[in-house]
This record gives sequence, C-alpha cells and structure tokens, in this order.
Amino acid sequence: MHSLMINGNTHQVDVEDDMPLLWVLRDELGKTGTKYGCGIGQCGACTVLVNGEAVRSCNFPVVAAEDKEIITIEGLGNNHPVQQAWIEEQVPQCGYCQTGQIMATTALLFKDLDPSEKEIEDKITNLCRCGTYVRIKKAIQRSAELIENQKG
Amino acid sequence: MYKYKLKRRSFIKSSTLAATGLIIGFTYDPKKSLAAKTKIKNELGIWIRISPDDTITLIVPSSEMGQGVNTSLPMIIAEELDANWESIRTETAPANSDYKNPEGHGGQNTGGSNSVKGFWNLLQETGAAAREMLVTAAAQRWNVPLEECDTKLGNVIHKNTNKKLSYGKLAVAASKIEVPSSPSKKSKEKYSLVGKSIQRIDVPEKVTGAAKFGIDIRLPEMLFATVRQSPIFGGEILSLDEVAAKAIRGVKAVVAVPNGIAVVADNTWRSKKGMDALNPQFTGGETPHLSSLNIHNKLITALDKEGKAKIDTEKSLDLEYEVPFLAHSTLEPMNCTANVKENSCEVWVPTQNQGMSMDVTKEITGLNDEQIKINTTLLGGGFGRRGETDFVTQAVTISKSLNKPVQVTWMREEDMQHDFYRPACISRFQIGLSKEGLPIQWENQLAGPSILKRFVAAMGWFGVDPTSTEGANELPYTIPDFNFDYSLVDTGVPVGFWRSVGSSYNAFFTECAIDEAAKLANQDPYEYRLKLLKDQPRYLKVLEKVVKNANWVDPLPKNHGLGLAIHKSFGSIVSTVIEVSSNAPGIIKLQKAWVVIDCGKVVNPDIVKAQMEGGFIFGLSAALGEEITLKDGRVEQSNFHDYSILRLKGSPKISVEIVESGSEIGGVGEPAVPLAAPALTNAIFSVSGKRIRSLPLSKHGIVIA
Repeated sequence: MHSLMINGNTHQVDVEDDMPLLWVLRDELGKTGTKYGCGIGQCGACTVLVNGEAVRSCNFPVVAAEDKEIITIEGLGNNHPVQQAWIEEQVPQCGYCQTGQIMATTALLFKDLDPSEKEIEDKITNLCRCGTYVRIKKAIQRSAELIENQKG
Repeated sequence: MYKYKLKRRSFIKSSTLAATGLIIGFTYDPKKSLAAKTKIKNELGIWIRISPDDTITLIVPSSEMGQGVNTSLPMIIAEELDANWESIRTETAPANSDYKNPEGHGGQNTGGSNSVKGFWNLLQETGAAAREMLVTAAAQRWNVPLEECDTKLGNVIHKNTNKKLSYGKLAVAASKIEVPSSPSKKSKEKYSLVGKSIQRIDVPEKVTGAAKFGIDIRLPEMLFATVRQSPIFGGEILSLDEVAAKAIRGVKAVVAVPNGIAVVADNTWRSKKGMDALNPQFTGGETPHLSSLNIHNKLITALDKEGKAKIDTEKSLDLEYEVPFLAHSTLEPMNCTANVKENSCEVWVPTQNQGMSMDVTKEITGLNDEQIKINTTLLGGGFGRRGETDFVTQAVTISKSLNKPVQVTWMREEDMQHDFYRPACISRFQIGLSKEGLPIQWENQLAGPSILKRFVAAMGWFGVDPTSTEGANELPYTIPDFNFDYSLVDTGVPVGFWRSVGSSYNAFFTECAIDEAAKLANQDPYEYRLKLLKDQPRYLKVLEKVVKNANWVDPLPKNHGLGLAIHKSFGSIVSTVIEVSSNAPGIIKLQKAWVVIDCGKVVNPDIVKAQMEGGFIFGLSAALGEEITLKDGRVEQSNFHDYSILRLKGSPKISVEIVESGSEIGGVGEPAVPLAAPALTNAIFSVSGKRIRSLPLSKHGIVIA
C-alpha cells in the first residue's frame, strides 16, 4: 500500500512499487489529464509536479512519489495563469501534449519568472506533434506576465 | 493455437471499397438530412438540436484531431442560423452514412484537408433552412407575414412590434415545419462569425485535462490490454509463455489478434508487464530480408528500367532525389475501447474513419448497423494514421472474446513499428534550359510504392496512383515540354496516408529541382519563378506577398541565407520563405519562416494560421530528422529516442499571412507541410552552397542550433 498526496488529497493505492506514477494516476485513480506518450521519459506528455519539480511520470516509480507533494493538471484547476495564457494564445491543436506542456511551464516559472529564451528552449523539451511551438513560446512569456500581475 | 482467423476476403471487399473514393456517385441531399427519419421534437434534422433553454447543439461530421473542425464547422451553421455563438455546443457525429462528406472519398471519414471545403455548402444550406423554419414558426405563432420577421443572435424578431421569441421557444414548432426547398443564404457582408478569429471551442477543456481522448475512456469493469505484433510484417507467433504472463499480478487473459497477441489486465501497465513476461516470439513473415538498402536498390532498378530522357539543350540538369519512409507518431498512440455484448456493441475510438470502423466491427461481431454504436472521441493527432482500423479490429476482437469492455492501448514501440508509413521514393529529373535559362524540357521519373493499391487490390487495379503522383504530375510553371512518369514499386513495407501524402515528397523534389535550374541559369530563385508563373495570377500574388514579407530583395546579414518554395495542394496555394544562418560548417539555425496561403475562402483566420504554423513545423521535423529504416525485415526505430521529432528548441518563428482571393475554397490542414523541406534545403544551399538531395538532413551531418 502506498500513500500518495495528490493535489492536496491523500490517496492509498495498492500497487507494485515499480508501477510508474503515470499509470497509477490514469488507471488506478482516474486522473486522465496526465497522458501516456512514450514510456521512456522522452516526450513529456506525462509531466507532473513532484515537490515543485517537473517529473516525467511514465518512468517515475510510485514508491519514489511517496511522502511527496504531487500536482497534476487537475490540480491546477481551470483558471491558473498558465492555463489562461494557453487560452489567450490559442495554443492547443489536438491538445494531447498540452497538459504536459502546461505542467512543464508551471515548474519552470515556479523557479524563474523571467526565463531567457535559451532557458525556455532548454527546459521545455516536451514534444508536440501538431507543431504548436510558436504559440507555446508566446504562451510561456504570457504566463509569466499573468503570474506577475497576479502577485500585484 | 493463437492463429487468428478473420474472413479476410470479405473484410477487404466490404470495408476498403468504401474508403477509396473510387465508388463514385453517391448522392447527398441536405433537405433529406434536415428532415431526417430520426427527428425528435426539438431537432432540426440530424445537424441541429435546440433545447428549451436556448442551448444549441450542432453535430460535427468530421473528427477533431487538432485541425479545428469542432469550431470551424459549427461556425458555418451558426452563421446561417443566426445563432448566438455563446449558446453553441458541439457533438461529434456517430457513424452514419448521412454524415459522409459530400465531396469526400467513399465513406464517412476525415482526411484530404476536406472538412470545411467539402461541408461548406451543405452546412450553409442546413443553417439557412433551419433559420427559415424557425422564422416560419414565429410568424405562424404571431400570425404575421414572414417578411415582417427577422433573426438576431438566436431570436426571431417581429420588426414592426419588436416582439421576439428565442429559438429555444420555437424549436418544437419549427421541427414540424416542412424543410424549405431553397433557403436564402446570408450575403457575406452580413457575416458576424465566418471570417472572424473566434476562439476554439475545444481549447478550455484541453488546458484543464478534462478533454477526453480515446485513451481516456473509462467504463465500469473495463479491462486494459496491450498488443504485440510480428516485427516482420505478416509473421506468426512461434512461441509464448502464457504461464509466465498469467503469473503477473492483474493479468486476466491472453487473446490472439490479427498479426499478433494481446495481454489483458486490470491496468495498462500490468498488461505491458504481462506482455514482457509472455515474451512472444514470431516466425515467418512476408519480407524477412527486407532492408533499407534493398528497397533503395529496388527503386533504382525501376528507374533504370524506365531510363532517362535525352536532353539536347546546351545547359541541362540530371538530378536524383530521395526521401525515406516516415512514421505518423501521433502523440496519442493507437488505441480503441470496445464493449461487445450478445446483441450490441459500442466502440469508443479516436478515428478518422467512422465508416470503416463500423465495417470491421460488423465483420467481427456479426451485428448490424443498428446494433453497433461508434463513438468518436477527440484524436490526439491523426495525420492519416487514424484512417486505418487495425486497432479497432483488435479491441472488438478482444472484447468479443472476453465479453467485457476492453481498452487496447499500443505501447509507443508498437505504434512506431506497426505504422502505415509515408512511402519512401526516389525521383529523377532531366531538365533542359533555353538560351534564356528557362526550363524548356522537363523530364521527371518517380518510383515508389502506392498507397491506394492496398485498398483497391480486390478490384484488380494496378494503374497510376494519384496520391503518389500528386504535386509532380503537373506544375504551375510554363514549361513547353513536360513529361512525368511513375513506376509503382512494391517494397513490402505497409504504406499509408501521411499528412499531405504525395505532395509531402513531390514538392521537395520539384521545388528543389526548380531552384537548381535557377542556379544553373544564374538567376534569382524568386525572379526565376516569377517568369515561369506569369500566366498564374493566384500563384503570383502569393509568391509576391511572401517575398515582400521576408524582405527577399534586401541584403542579408553575413552567413544568412533564404530559401523559397511554392506549391499547391488540396486546393490551396502556399508559398514560404525560410531564413537560416550558419556560423560553422554543418550547424544551421532556423531564424524565421514566412508563410502565405491562398485558400480561397476563410472561416476562421486564426485556425488557418495555426494550421500553417503546425503544418510547416510538421514538415520541418520530417526534413530535419525523421527517418524509418529497415533491417532484417524489421523497422529499426522504436521510440522518440531514435525517431527524432522537432522540439521547441530549433523551431523558427513563423509569420503567416492569408490571401483571401475568393477563389474556390481550399484545405488548410495539410498544405503547409510540403513547403518545409524544399524551402529549408534551398535556404541551406543559399547559405552554404551545399545541395541536399535526400532527407533527412541529419544524415548529412547537419545539426540544428
């Protein structure tokens, strides 16, 4: 039995130690906003926050997530500044990768509200097959502005 | 024991004919659809449902795979209906031949950049007819002449008295009124939705994680399965360890599927673990010795047999271009959920092909159309891959065998190694130039596999496949002596429709060949094309705009170069310029791209722009690093570590301009893809003098900064 703190709630899950967090979220807890794309940490569709760090949950064993604060896309609610920026810039096409892109951006901006273009390119490495990168870049910058404004 | 039996022959007959478009002549009557048999009290036919609370549900006949149809198609109906956009909800159509694209190919499917193009007239008429029915219902209720009534934002208004009734209050009465035979459509000046960059309907749910893709379907008691298929196409199971698989926690069953085996468990990961324990080994197969080298040689042999043309001009070119197989790699891997019961079956599938999904489900279950329901979920990318039904067959087969709802999810490795790949092709040119340097003789021979052949094999068809030759068999340029030949070469590798299909390689071949001709003639690539397009006003306008936007004629910074390409596909003309820089040999930075499209008419400019950006990146990604290779009959790549897709780093800025020529409407989902490779390689030539004639660039040692 593993005890997981996800989006502020505690969940007990009876799964193997090596089961990736991704599949616990999706298949055991019904949190399907986190996506499967590759299973080897290459594409980033499964990105969640673990203690504030962007983690690719497809190769992150559940045992390593115990006693840590996990935030999934569902935990951002529906009006988070990064989500607002994504809507303003009309980023998603098919949308499958976007929850991962949003989580990766949230982690990046959590650490640095004024990332350089190079930093954005180095840190946001999630794949988007529809090719929305032009808008992702704009939306990251817009997200930073919105977070800054929110701080007032 | 695990050999799968399917009545293959009849399967091919019934399903594939429907998908090719070679069956011509189905008729489509919007009036009939509007007065459809299933009409219930608040429904205006099969397209429009109006609730008493004024919510209007519009049925979207195409699959939403990112191209924006859940927004653009409803915009067309809502415009003519004079509905309040805020009140619009959408629903994807069920599998039903009434939702076939009137200008589409065969059955109910989404492809060919044809959704807005094909449904434009039908949806306009549907909206206009429904509006007229609502007006008639109001006029009857008020007992006033029709002419005194108008509509605005979901209300009918009596002009003389300003009385108004909302559509919600009129829907039941309107649904009983006869469908008008020739409803009047709005004049363009009165448009309030079409032509505007309205925000996409599906974006809010796609940023919260609430959007449901096929892989997100959850049903009570649903089991999770994954599959393994013969790595050599067409192989059979040699051995497996069922005991070991069933010893894995949560594994429920091992089920045979066509070309492979499925492990069913209580979650996806355990089914994968079970599959690893099952360790299926395969034998045989149609092409055990297949390799990229022998496919290349086969294509060359076919071209050698065709021979080269003789060119008599003083200046001439003799060129050979090549492209590899490519994977679709939709980020959502192939998946399907099915619930087969004794007298019914429900399927949830991210599909571009409801028609064929229905056909295979009928074939496997023996049920009829009325007993089967095909639900189209959101698609996490399509690009042509989801026009196939291999994953539908698997889910329905497994669910039928277990009498339980089952979701099949392919691991990425299966998805990469069991695709229907973009064909590998080789194209040769012999081009003769006039004294003025213009091409007067153009000889082009293309060799490659045919996509359509698979679908129409049952008909004994073996002619020229238009999807292989599109984009090369005719050019917009004035060339007096133009000859194009196509050699169909079966390679043994399954091939399929890949975003922009034939144009995805033919534009690379022809637009680079034109650039090479310009170089040989010592002329500017833009001015060269201008001369050759003097009789093509639509092309000229697009070309002139893109070079203006890119400041083509201005001097460039040191070590920068520009590349140009222009190509028409799916009814739209697109031209692009890309600026690259190179400060060290082999290291290229993509600075910026300019894209101009003339797609005739525009429903939602921002969606068109998004498709231009995305399509161009999709094409760049392929040109830069994508390649499927074969060795010992197997695909060598297995995941994103060895099948390289472009990331944010390296993607250029893209500026898009739309030319609204008012010409016949063209598609937008695909037409930007073909431009990327030729524009990029022409730019690399301009900056480095290095002419790249085969893709991807990565195998030429080119690295993107």
